[in-house]
Amino acid sequence: MIDIWNVAILNPMLNGLIALSEILGKNFGLAIIVLTVAVRIVLIPLTFKQTQSTKAMQSLQPKLQELQKKYARNQQKLQQEMMALYKEAGVSPLGCMWPLLIQFPIWIALYQSIMQALAATPENLLLLSQHLYSWDMVGQAIPLNEMFLGLKLSQPDPTMILAILVGGTMWLQQKMVTPPATDPKQQQMTSMTTMMMPMMFAFFTLSFPSGLALYWVVSNIIGIGIQYFIGGGWGYFTFPSLRPQPQATTQPKIEQKGSQDGKKGQN
Amino acid sequence: MKTANLVKILLTVSLVSAVFLAGCTDVSGGGGCAGPSAQGWSGFVPYKQVLCFGSMEGRVIAVNPAARSDNKTFPVEGEWAYLIKIASPGAACGAMCGSSTSASNMGIYATPVTSGELVYAGTYSGKIYAMNGDKGVVRWVYPREGYETVGGVVGNLATDGQSIFFGSSNGKLYALDALTGDYKWEFQTSDKIWTSPAVDSGVVYTGNYGGNIYALSAEDGKVIWEIKIPSAVASAITVSGGNLYFGTFDRYLHALDKTSGQEKWKVSGGNWFWAAPVVKDGVAYCACLDQKVYALEADTGREVWQFSAESPIVSTPALSENTLYVASNNGKLYSLDIKKGTMINSASVGFTVYAPLYADGATVYVNARNHTVYAVDMTKGSIIWQFASNSIGN
Repeated sequence: MIDIWNVAILNPMLNGLIALSEILGKNFGLAIIVLTVAVRIVLIPLTFKQTQSTKAMQSLQPKLQELQKKYARNQQKLQQEMMALYKEAGVSPLGCMWPLLIQFPIWIALYQSIMQALAATPENLLLLSQHLYSWDMVGQAIPLNEMFLGLKLSQPDPTMILAILVGGTMWLQQKMVTPPATDPKQQQMTSMTTMMMPMMFAFFTLSFPSGLALYWVVSNIIGIGIQYFIGGGWGYFTFPSLRPQPQATTQPKIEQKGSQDGKKGQN
Repeated sequence: MKTANLVKILLTVSLVSAVFLAGCTDVSGGGGCAGPSAQGWSGFVPYKQVLCFGSMEGRVIAVNPAARSDNKTFPVEGEWAYLIKIASPGAACGAMCGSSTSASNMGIYATPVTSGELVYAGTYSGKIYAMNGDKGVVRWVYPREGYETVGGVVGNLATDGQSIFFGSSNGKLYALDALTGDYKWEFQTSDKIWTSPAVDSGVVYTGNYGGNIYALSAEDGKVIWEIKIPSAVASAITVSGGNLYFGTFDRYLHALDKTSGQEKWKVSGGNWFWAAPVVKDGVAYCACLDQKVYALEADTGREVWQFSAESPIVSTPALSENTLYVASNNGKLYSLDIKKGTMINSASVGFTVYAPLYADGATVYVNARNHTVYAVDMTKGSIIWQFASNSIGN
């Protein structure tokens, strides 16, 4: 199984990445960026399909809530009705998952390629030898030039800059696609999960090679771009200044203002 | 929708975990999410009745084969062990480690060298230690206490009796006074040096990862010649007769004229020539990661014979009289007739071997990657004794 993975997916991507670095003037950082962009472009149809499925699921939200209220005491009936609703609308509850699942092997391969190509230790370098093609271009590129924009790509970024960038871009991407929940409990869970992943990746950035963090940042920025253009703008993300004030706090103020005006008028 | 969201979150978290587990999987047993950790693979150097080597736990150890054969309690009869501790492992593990100053240890790649009564070891943490060969007491350390390390030392050290020469990951080749450890000179190359330098007749030869080969004066580090080749040097440089021999990452084995740097010949293998070539009686024996050993005429590169092992060969072979001893990565040892390339005998230590072999007659010493040193009788194909370097207490 590992052999099939290596021969069919990992090795082509790894050698492609190394060859690309040679073509780009022995610049491995640039090669990571170019390959990440290329992979994300190739995966656009899947990303598009995933976005569509998510949107379709979200459009069913009011009807699903109605059903949940209606059949709160009959879970079996609720499930039947929900499935019927999905069928009627022509969506699958896990439909938005498949494009994500298909993308994952490619991300894993890209991730492994970066880790292996950087060969931070002599042991890594030896391991790399078993994955390389006999292309002159690949042989001449090894060992890769690990410096990029002042970063040592095989080592973790000693500053917090990459960790902040990884966490920040991932959080923004999550905010763009996560609808605000009406139920306070659900809202709390959504907020937690929106924060959990970016924090997790920011934490990983502190200990993983910065080449990998570079890939995460670029991948997230492209994800934000794709989401912006396919999803039509910033999605569910709202800039703090544009956020509408909650009704409960604004209404009394208006009333108060009105009553004060009335008092003024009386005076 | 709530269920779908939950499924999505769980699936994402589990897939992310899978990604990291896939990345953290280390087939060579090193561990660590950034791939195999730096554990080293030092070979042996004889000093009086003991063999000195660097262990995967960061110790310089002297073992007495006779005492080990008698299964005596370590250390006896000239044996000793010195644990090299490194402060502030932040450089090794990144920002997560913060500014911790707790001591840690790290593997040793460089095979120690001896000169007079001193044994010298270079560490991946970027220090050179000179120890008394009789007791393992440190005579000097370079850089001195309080000074920054010089960058990881991966290649072997070389000595001409007056100086110690070593290449560093910071791209510099250093020369130190062998007796005092005083700095003599340094030479900055264009890229990091992970290969071993060679010293011969007052000239130090080294290669770096930028594909440069340098011949420097051992006296003052002045450049005698410098050449650029298409790929970086993968193996240690071997000097023999009038030539330099080394492998490169484009799968070639090169022979250069040592006085001018002009290429005499090059032959290609099926993978990198990582092990240092061994030359005797006009034949270069070159082990390759393509699982083969090539015997090549030293002057022409013409193939004399080739031998196929069971797995890639990282370990530098050892010669003893007319027998070549080879270890493949899977722990299999072979004794080969150097004239014909035929296998005389084989044995197995059962664990991965990367470290250079050392042969004393028909006994071959192996520093395997299970933290164990083996003495193997290659006439019988059996293990005489074994010694677990990680069994030594701090």
